[in-house]
Amino acid sequence: MSSVIWYLYEFARKSWAESFAGAKTNPEIMETPDRFRDFPQVIPENCIACGACTAACPAPKAIKLVRSEDNSHEEGITYPVINTRGCIRCGFCAEVCPTDPKALLCGENHLIREEFTILPVEKTFTIDDYLCIRCRKCMNTCPVEGAIFEEDNKIIIDKAKCISCGECLKTCPVKGAVKGIYVFNVQEQKQIIQLVVNTLEKRIEEEEENIKQLEGGEVFKVDLPIDGLVEAARNILDNDDLILDIIQKMTDRLKMRIITWDHGKCNDCRLCVKDCPSGAITYTKEGGVQRNADKCLRCSVCYQTCPFGVVGYYVARFLLDEPQLEGGVIRITVKASQLPQGAG
Amino acid sequence: MILPIGPIHPGLKEPLRLKLKTQGEKVISAQIDYGYVHRGIERVMQGKTWQKAIYLSERVCGICSYIHTQTFAETFEKIAGEQVPLRAQYLRVLTNELDRIQSHLLANSTYFKALEHETLFMYMLALREPVMDAIELLTGNRVNMGWNVVGGVRMDAQESHLKSIMEIITDLEKEYPRYVEMFDQGPLLGLRSKDVGKMSREDAIKARAVGPIGRASGIKHDWREDHPTYHDHLDFETIWRKDGDNYARTMNRFDEITVSIDLIKQVIENIPPGDVRKKVDILAGYADWRNEAPRGEVSYMIETNGNLIQNISIRTPSIMNIDACAKYMLQDVATVADAVATYASVDPCIACTERVVIVDESGKKKDVEGIHNLELS
Amino acid sequence: MVRSLKDIIRSSSIHVCLINTGGCNGCDIEVVALLSPRYDLEQYGIYVHNNPREADVILVTGAVTEQWVEKLRRIYTKAPEPKIVVALGNCPLTGDVFNQEGGSVYAPVSDFIPVAAEVSGCPPRPSEILAAILSVAPGAIAARGREKK
Repeated sequence: MSSVIWYLYEFARKSWAESFAGAKTNPEIMETPDRFRDFPQVIPENCIACGACTAACPAPKAIKLVRSEDNSHEEGITYPVINTRGCIRCGFCAEVCPTDPKALLCGENHLIREEFTILPVEKTFTIDDYLCIRCRKCMNTCPVEGAIFEEDNKIIIDKAKCISCGECLKTCPVKGAVKGIYVFNVQEQKQIIQLVVNTLEKRIEEEEENIKQLEGGEVFKVDLPIDGLVEAARNILDNDDLILDIIQKMTDRLKMRIITWDHGKCNDCRLCVKDCPSGAITYTKEGGVQRNADKCLRCSVCYQTCPFGVVGYYVARFLLDEPQLEGGVIRITVKASQLPQGAG
Repeated sequence: MILPIGPIHPGLKEPLRLKLKTQGEKVISAQIDYGYVHRGIERVMQGKTWQKAIYLSERVCGICSYIHTQTFAETFEKIAGEQVPLRAQYLRVLTNELDRIQSHLLANSTYFKALEHETLFMYMLALREPVMDAIELLTGNRVNMGWNVVGGVRMDAQESHLKSIMEIITDLEKEYPRYVEMFDQGPLLGLRSKDVGKMSREDAIKARAVGPIGRASGIKHDWREDHPTYHDHLDFETIWRKDGDNYARTMNRFDEITVSIDLIKQVIENIPPGDVRKKVDILAGYADWRNEAPRGEVSYMIETNGNLIQNISIRTPSIMNIDACAKYMLQDVATVADAVATYASVDPCIACTERVVIVDESGKKKDVEGIHNLELS
Repeated sequence: MVRSLKDIIRSSSIHVCLINTGGCNGCDIEVVALLSPRYDLEQYGIYVHNNPREADVILVTGAVTEQWVEKLRRIYTKAPEPKIVVALGNCPLTGDVFNQEGGSVYAPVSDFIPVAAEVSGCPPRPSEILAAILSVAPGAIAARGREKK
């Protein structure tokens, strides 16, 4: 009974009766606050087609770059199109958009300071200061204002502003001065590098007898077709661009040092055993002096120590002929070292 | 007989199958089938940068979406060994408590709906709307806020925002004791709630109940006590009760709203000026972090390789609470209506629970009878 | 005469069944928020019952998970004619963020049951849901009713 009285008391309130009689939708409910993030608004004229928004978007089907048709007097412009059926209204695209004024507007996100716009990309670009000739071609082609700047006579890419479009790499006249580095699949990249090194090493080992014959200034040349290498690399990671990139970078920079060992000349003086920094050379009464190739650092200390010329020290360099995966050949050049021998 | 309820049922808001073993009107025991909303979030997150994964973590659960992003961001900050600026910490507390208020109001309104008390159901929802407005005002969205980032929060709160939030909170504080009194003093509600769905402290510990459900059964534990921001800068008190029935759980949530209102006032009065975001480098490593979600403890375990997420595991509170409900609360309940009300009183959130799929060796999904009986190793 | 009377009644009394086929729950609570006195869905004659057997409108939220592939079709057949399906939020439309490598969702919903109207957003605001349902539901239901005769 008391509960009935309770409800009667509730209903008898004047405000309740008023709202019951005049029930209608409050127009306020359709209003949104200032900060409300609606679907992003696209301003096609500002777009530089960098693709930052598509790379940053967390929803798989929300954003797409389209290019309008060319007409008689100008090229069609490229701009992002928001698919409202996929967009989650996070505003991240507006946050990463590098143009000024922005090509994408969404709520208040664009007020965020620029150093925080961290762009999730496949590749980051850096400039090798050693190779850079300061021609400033990359600065001129870069679509983002201030992403490549000069400081203390150095050209530097600002990672926070870079949109990884790759224009700087295309215009750079020096091979290797601008580098694109894949930031994904680091573990797989390591495996591929390991694979390339091991294959090259094996190929050189096969030619050991020929290499031992080398005199002072002579060079020995051998070829390695990369088809098998590519096949094995694809098993690790199926990304042809990345594999080519790794092989090319390695052949450009890799310098392989080769140690040969002529047991016939050894007089068991054991000088090298003492000097070896990694303990790779051991001596036993039965076996004599033995070198463990897995531990060896190829530092050439033994070559410089040995008074009898047991140790041979050679340097191999590589070149990828025709930079492509199909039919590419790695040219290997082996040359005797110029270091003084038997000095220690 | 076995009385199946769900997955689509007038009494449930989310898909889940409740199998009640009944004898006449009496419910003897209950069993719960999960698995209707398993989306594979943890697997999708693997191999993604945090910028993409944080939006996924937000969508683990729509009701407590805020705390998931905060825990996610704080795990990364722990790996990097950095702390976000103080103003960002305060803003995180502010949003967290607003989210807690709306979640508790929604949970209580669902409980009243399960009791078929439409009046309080409507009142609770009417109270909740201004809080949702406050959230939208501050973050730009009502449910999935997109507010946290690793290193702080995305936008600064203007003075005007804090002022209007303060007004909304003061209004709420003025109004809602009336409804608490309605529940507290209402005789029918008391009859339906007191001594229904009891869980003792020992059972709560055995079932690993967390959050308001555990605290209503006498486990005085709140992860906010250990959180650095709450611990160092704010005064707050853990609410707990001993009864462990539906009434205690609902009242516990009401009282926690009072604490949250108090915390929000402290934050708005003491918020320091400064930055709201700082750059945090993502380092390779592993960390775990836990926080008090509206429903209890949520923990994230993340392993990164310095850029991408290699492995992630999310543990949400609802799975333990629903478990506790099925094992201990739904034993010997007088009527089926009380069983449904008891189920609603633990504030179940199904979207949270779906973390695990059991697959047999041929790759087919496997049905496991009574999956909640599995030992967690 | 009878037909037009039925049209009027159908368009002013809509029973809604809400099905979450595997989403984050955000859209569902926005529908619950619609019931609140502020939006007051029932003043438009819309009732959320969660009962497929008396539903005129089936409101689907959520990307379709493995468990729902068959059950969704079954629930659709259980609803009486005329009925329309409204897809609510991004999950039933494109699968949202879950529809990526590794996710176990089978979006869109229109692969399984015919969808008459859609509301996009993640989640849509209650006012957007309200506007979409009101613009499409009464006319669509009345039209489906005439088709059957």
